[in-house]
Amino acid sequence: MRIYSLKSSKLVIISKIIIIIFWIIVSRIVDNEVIFPTIKSTITSLIDIIRGPYFFNVIRYSLIRTLVGFTISLILAILIGVLASVFKVILYIMLPIVNFLSSVPTMAIIILALIWLDNEVVPLFVGFIMVFPILYESVLKGIGNVDKNIIEMAELYKVDRIHVIKDIYIPNILYSLNSVFSSTLGLNLKMVIAGEALSQPNYGIGSSLQLEKTYLNTPAVFAWIIIILLISKFLEGLLNRLDNILHINRWKG
Amino acid sequence: MAYKVEGIIKYYGDLKVLDKVTIDFEPNKTTCILGPSGCGKTTLLNIIAGLIPMDSGQIVGFDDERISYVFQEDRLIKWKNVKENLEFVLKGNVDKNQIEIIIDKYLKLVSLEEYKYYYPKDLSGGMKQRVSILRAFLYPSSVLLMDEPFKSLDVKSKSLVIEFFKELRSVENKTCILVTHNIEEALELGDKIVILTQKPTRVRKVVDKNIMAARELIESYFKMMP
Repeated sequence: MRIYSLKSSKLVIISKIIIIIFWIIVSRIVDNEVIFPTIKSTITSLIDIIRGPYFFNVIRYSLIRTLVGFTISLILAILIGVLASVFKVILYIMLPIVNFLSSVPTMAIIILALIWLDNEVVPLFVGFIMVFPILYESVLKGIGNVDKNIIEMAELYKVDRIHVIKDIYIPNILYSLNSVFSSTLGLNLKMVIAGEALSQPNYGIGSSLQLEKTYLNTPAVFAWIIIILLISKFLEGLLNRLDNILHINRWKG
Repeated sequence: MAYKVEGIIKYYGDLKVLDKVTIDFEPNKTTCILGPSGCGKTTLLNIIAGLIPMDSGQIVGFDDERISYVFQEDRLIKWKNVKENLEFVLKGNVDKNQIEIIIDKYLKLVSLEEYKYYYPKDLSGGMKQRVSILRAFLYPSSVLLMDEPFKSLDVKSKSLVIEFFKELRSVENKTCILVTHNIEEALELGDKIVILTQKPTRVRKVVDKNIMAARELIESYFKMMP
């Protein structure tokens, strides 16, 4: 196991080096900063962006939109998911809505959102329509996966309903959600940035990307991509912490 | 308190599973219900536990009682360690301050203290079933129902778990009802052995373990069945 992880971490470093070499070669061949910037100009842009007056506001707003949107999606998914598994009516009301959200092209919904909603809200909404159905489905799955034998055991031992919910249903829901947490949070970040690029709120990574594109400042676009990658890594690290908080690694066989 | 089932009839659709089953259970003794596979032993146990309804008949004594149950599988909660699994059935059923004391007392009694914080995934099959049996014993009940609790264990851990059960039974008075299709288990654990027929199931014979030639008697009845 140890040898394996050592080997794989070596491979990761090697693949990163290959990508950087590839970048250097392609930028040499293309030899045009607008089409394919060099590493040097990208780093220069990166430093300029970080030193710029709005950098922290831009990052802050995008992160807030991502986290607030995700929290709203999460709370609604749990609430509606639990209600849907208790009341069949809600399950059937939600069925066409979720189907609609997952089958209609996202772009179509975004365009409607641009017409209907405030610029500040569009990125949140865009993230929500992508992430909510996934979270909702996994809440339903978590409740559906509750072991009937364990419930029967709890009934026989006359365990209070409140303890059954707290100790059996909620861990099942959390466990099921946990498996989609990092992918959906990453997806939410991407969708928020896409929404910002389209709706152009005052501050936002998407707005900045769009602005740099307008000026054909490709090195800055590259620099923003690097910043986004770093933010994704940061969010991922945050979620690994969550795994430890939920003690999932301890009992998972 | 007398425990009794009287004239139990149960149908699954048109299929008659139980046909006027009447059994007396002696308090604080172990009654083994011995029957061929698929004769409706589990159905009878579930009716006694109140899990499924019967079509006619009477159940005496079990209604108001707290009942412990040991299943074929361990039915432990996998995200809870041994202590938390035991705690789960005590919550709301005993005084909150007593829970930890009770758990420690029983773990010590059966020398499982070192496993207190183990998760089910780190325990062997036999060990998990021991925890499940311990859960049944520390629960404040006077009746213990067991549905082929040793069935899924290998020979070696089976004899260990049986010893474990006997040890607990000797310190804790409970009226035990053990369902099995294994004559050896019935002879080893039962004070009284109730032999059931094939479906539609009736009581074929009730044998007291202490009589002479109990084994021969049971074997002769049991062999007559396919």
